[in-house]
Amino acid sequence: MAAEPFPLDEQFLRRESASLIAVLTRAFGFASIELVEDSVQEAMLQALQSWRLGGVPERPAAWLHRVAKNRMISAVRRNRRAGEVDEHLTATLDPSASIEPDEVQDSLLSMIFACCHPSLERRSQLALTLKMLCGLGDQEIARGLLASTGSIKRRVSRAKKLLLEAGTALTMPSPQELEGRLDVVQEVLYLLFNEGYSASRGELPVRIDLCEEAARLAHLLCESGLAQPATRALLALMLYHAARLESRTGEDGAIVLLGDQDRRAWDWKMIAVAESWFERSATGTTVSRFHLEAGIARLHCVAPSLEATDWNEVVRHYDVLMQLYPSPLYRLNRAVAACQLGRLDEALTELQSLDGSGALEEYPLLHCALADALVRAGDHATAHLHLRRALVHVQVPRERELIERRLKALRRQE
Amino acid sequence: MPFPSLSKGAPVAKFLFLYRNTPEKEAQDQSPDQMQEVMKAWWDWLGAGQAAGWVVEMGEALVPEGKLVEADHSVTDGPYAESREIVGGFTIVEAPDMETACKHARGCPIFEAGGRVEVRAVMDTQAPE
Repeated sequence: MAAEPFPLDEQFLRRESASLIAVLTRAFGFASIELVEDSVQEAMLQALQSWRLGGVPERPAAWLHRVAKNRMISAVRRNRRAGEVDEHLTATLDPSASIEPDEVQDSLLSMIFACCHPSLERRSQLALTLKMLCGLGDQEIARGLLASTGSIKRRVSRAKKLLLEAGTALTMPSPQELEGRLDVVQEVLYLLFNEGYSASRGELPVRIDLCEEAARLAHLLCESGLAQPATRALLALMLYHAARLESRTGEDGAIVLLGDQDRRAWDWKMIAVAESWFERSATGTTVSRFHLEAGIARLHCVAPSLEATDWNEVVRHYDVLMQLYPSPLYRLNRAVAACQLGRLDEALTELQSLDGSGALEEYPLLHCALADALVRAGDHATAHLHLRRALVHVQVPRERELIERRLKALRRQE
Repeated sequence: MPFPSLSKGAPVAKFLFLYRNTPEKEAQDQSPDQMQEVMKAWWDWLGAGQAAGWVVEMGEALVPEGKLVEADHSVTDGPYAESREIVGGFTIVEAPDMETACKHARGCPIFEAGGRVEVRAVMDTQAPE
């Protein structure tokens, strides 16, 4: 029976666990979700026990499905008195029925909408999505979201309870509510991706996992026919960024800045896929922030070097973004682009006004950007001061290292 | 009749590894990723054993529940399901002596999960030369 004794895809069990939970929860009803989770966990454990000696069976996914479904059936039988099993359930109970790819896709999609239910807090949506759709454990979620394992556990169980009490069903949103629900899902996936992408947070493998999962779910949406142009722009945005993710960290784990990255080492296949999704996002009449952010990420990807980046276009994109979403982060990034264009006075005024507003008070990158602009303007003393202020707020060792490196370089120039 | 030759190389005996799992410990909150890692650790260990030649048969896993057939032919449930430790599988290995077999067993990933390996020599059926 063991055709292929060794390796499975890296995330095989995680992905299968998420698919099984979605499929079985849809079949048995959202009210059975905890029973489903237990059954799937038992199936996983059984796989671990059996496959580590007997090897992987020929069709591992079907194997897991059969075991989990059987566990579920006995659990349901234990919980119900005789005669209470309804017709619908008997139909779904056939343990030999195989699981169709369409069924998996639909189940995962309806699970996405449940986990990103608008009644839940944003952090709960994130945690629940990672738990239910990505098959991550509490510890892994905690590491990804920089929270304690205990708080993730409580958050997930509270969120599930809320959904249960609200009588949530695993169904697709109606056409009328689709757009609003999709907006929430997109927002959650965007945040999920950013959690993974921010270079300053967490360990690289965990971060790549988060990015991959967010992109996978966005891809699932894009393939489903539910997607809107903004969904495709979001996917393109993720892929443009993901293609550069690994180049942002050196072999020793240190942060590598955009200008120092080896552009040949970027994932050009992924950039090509991003390009095709970006093209397909250019329909409809609305320009979303995902379109604009993807446009900026694209400008970085297609530029031959940092200096040769089309900074004018970058600034133009941020101008539109700031009209749509007046965020201090967009102002900061726009100023950095202006700085690259040599518009030093404009950049400095903007950065200093941001500094004065206190909106990014504890954001070390503001002070790094200020230091950069000041060095270009020849004011090393003030630049020095801002790097020291950045050091006060920096929390992650790798980022501290980077700022210290710049301080040292500054001292050498003096 | 010449004295048995010592130049034949070291004689090899068969041993049975019985994996004694502690299911409760293993079940605790393991994520699919962690389980897959454990699985890989086993494959690495057994794969290395195969490559080195001391793994004769990878063996099989055993379902925790079982039955006991008594001398009077009555059948009872095995006491396994509730016990703290159960035999979860076996592997057949080859080694010149018990000491070497135990050395091989020390690499088993089962210890991470609080399990143990019972090493038993298979009794030699050949008549001594």
